[in-house]
Amino acid sequence: METVRTSQTLVLPEGYSAYEINADEDLSLQLKIIRPCDVFVRILKAAKMQVNIEAAEGVKAAVLFYNSSKDTVTSSECHTVMKDADLTVAYGECNGAETYRKVKVELKESGANALLSTASLVNEKKEYRMEVANLAPHTSGDIRNFAVVLSEGRLMIDAIGRIVKGAYRSESHQTSRALSFAEGQRSEILPELLIDENDVQASHAMSIGRVDEDQLYYMMSRGLSIEQCTSLISTGYLMPVTEVLKNEELRSTLAEEMERKITELCSM
Amino acid sequence: MKTLEIRNLHVKVEDKEILKGVDLTVAENEIHALMGPNGNGKSTLLAAIMGNPKYEITEGEIIYDGKDLLAMPVNERSIAGIFLAMQYPQEIPGVTNSDFLRAAMNVRRESPVPLFTFIKAIEKTIKDLQMKEDLAHRFLNEGFSGGEKKRNEIVQMELLKPSLSMLDEIDSGLDVDAIKIVGDAISRLREETGMSIIVVSHYERFLEMIRPQFTHVLVDGRIVCSGGPELAQRIDSEGYDWIYREYNISPAAEADETAARPASIGVCAVRESVKGAEQ
Repeated sequence: METVRTSQTLVLPEGYSAYEINADEDLSLQLKIIRPCDVFVRILKAAKMQVNIEAAEGVKAAVLFYNSSKDTVTSSECHTVMKDADLTVAYGECNGAETYRKVKVELKESGANALLSTASLVNEKKEYRMEVANLAPHTSGDIRNFAVVLSEGRLMIDAIGRIVKGAYRSESHQTSRALSFAEGQRSEILPELLIDENDVQASHAMSIGRVDEDQLYYMMSRGLSIEQCTSLISTGYLMPVTEVLKNEELRSTLAEEMERKITELCSM
Repeated sequence: MKTLEIRNLHVKVEDKEILKGVDLTVAENEIHALMGPNGNGKSTLLAAIMGNPKYEITEGEIIYDGKDLLAMPVNERSIAGIFLAMQYPQEIPGVTNSDFLRAAMNVRRESPVPLFTFIKAIEKTIKDLQMKEDLAHRFLNEGFSGGEKKRNEIVQMELLKPSLSMLDEIDSGLDVDAIKIVGDAISRLREETGMSIIVVSHYERFLEMIRPQFTHVLVDGRIVCSGGPELAQRIDSEGYDWIYREYNISPAAEADETAARPASIGVCAVRESVKGAEQ
């Protein structure tokens, strides 16, 4: 795994690659994608980050940012997707520290596709603004947020799908789900679809809810503590984020780590 | 001796009193059948023993193995050896059978069950209950047919080896072959572990397999009469009317309509399965 300590521009190699951000100062990171690739970025330490991903014409790529930072991370991101390119950007947040993230994805040329996906175990403050803008015809954007909110957690998500005039035959979809285990937890999800074109498809789905009591009773009746139930259910809820990675080994390493982290946070 | 003692148990559900003073003792190695018309408290009694939070105990006590069960949370009751095979098992998306079962087995052991031992055990149980081979990797009860869910309850029972098993209409929704598979699995497990059983069933065929030594009839929240296997047989052939007459009682409101005409056990079960399908 390559360590990134200062601002830089990386041209990503074909296939699988992994990076670790360990920066003492503010950092700007440019990721240029010109060949199909599968990228894992672990955030170990970073106060303020600026990230730009450029997906060139025709490439298919997935980038997963996994936050392991013990301190607050503030990230401002703008990603661009060119003609017929397909970009997935996923975020795994199980780190028990605050995160403030603004992401804008621009689908710049026809045939561009993007998926923005987050999985968060929230026991601190997590604030995201996730926007996908369809700026050209025949583009497609999708935002998926999954979160488990623990008793000390506070989640705010602004999910925005924007289709500009002239971006006909485009699609903008979003799904946001937050699950909580106790009363009085605060989650806010604001789904927005800003559409300035007639010939489009758009949808949003959202749910915020508590875990079903009957499910908890059923699991506890087999001897599991409430913490174990929380951790098993959360794992099942958040693990699908790892599926964006095609690399088996990396996926299972990450899955194990997430499971450990979830177990740890759920038993606090 | 792990004995279950229930004394003067009163239970309320949503402000309605369902159990109105139940006394029951189940000693180690005993099998008790709980009979009675629908809606008269059989499932409530089992749920109260297990600790379903929807059921409020207003009076009485439940002691198991010398411990005050009512003071224990649901998971501790399970670890104490109590198992309820539920009438309507929950679906838990995202949680695999395998992760769930391992966690459930580990809470009752000093050290975690070794992976190999676990795989062997689950493979054997899948075979015993004739479940699909991918059971371990499927999400807990999600997308299972009614019969699969019921058999999965017995899979869990076989792996957790409780000392007191409660079967809440585990046979309803099972076809003839599946009833035999489940009945055989329960009998084998009982031979192996000597667990006690409280069984709620409307089917004489199933009771014949489990062979309860004691029968209790629960009407309107009370055990109105108890006896041996002959009592279950008489109810199977004659219904409950003779009990209402003999003890000068009437069943709880929900069962009032069935009291109007003689309700054989078969009819009750069919009615219930139709009701279940409509829900």
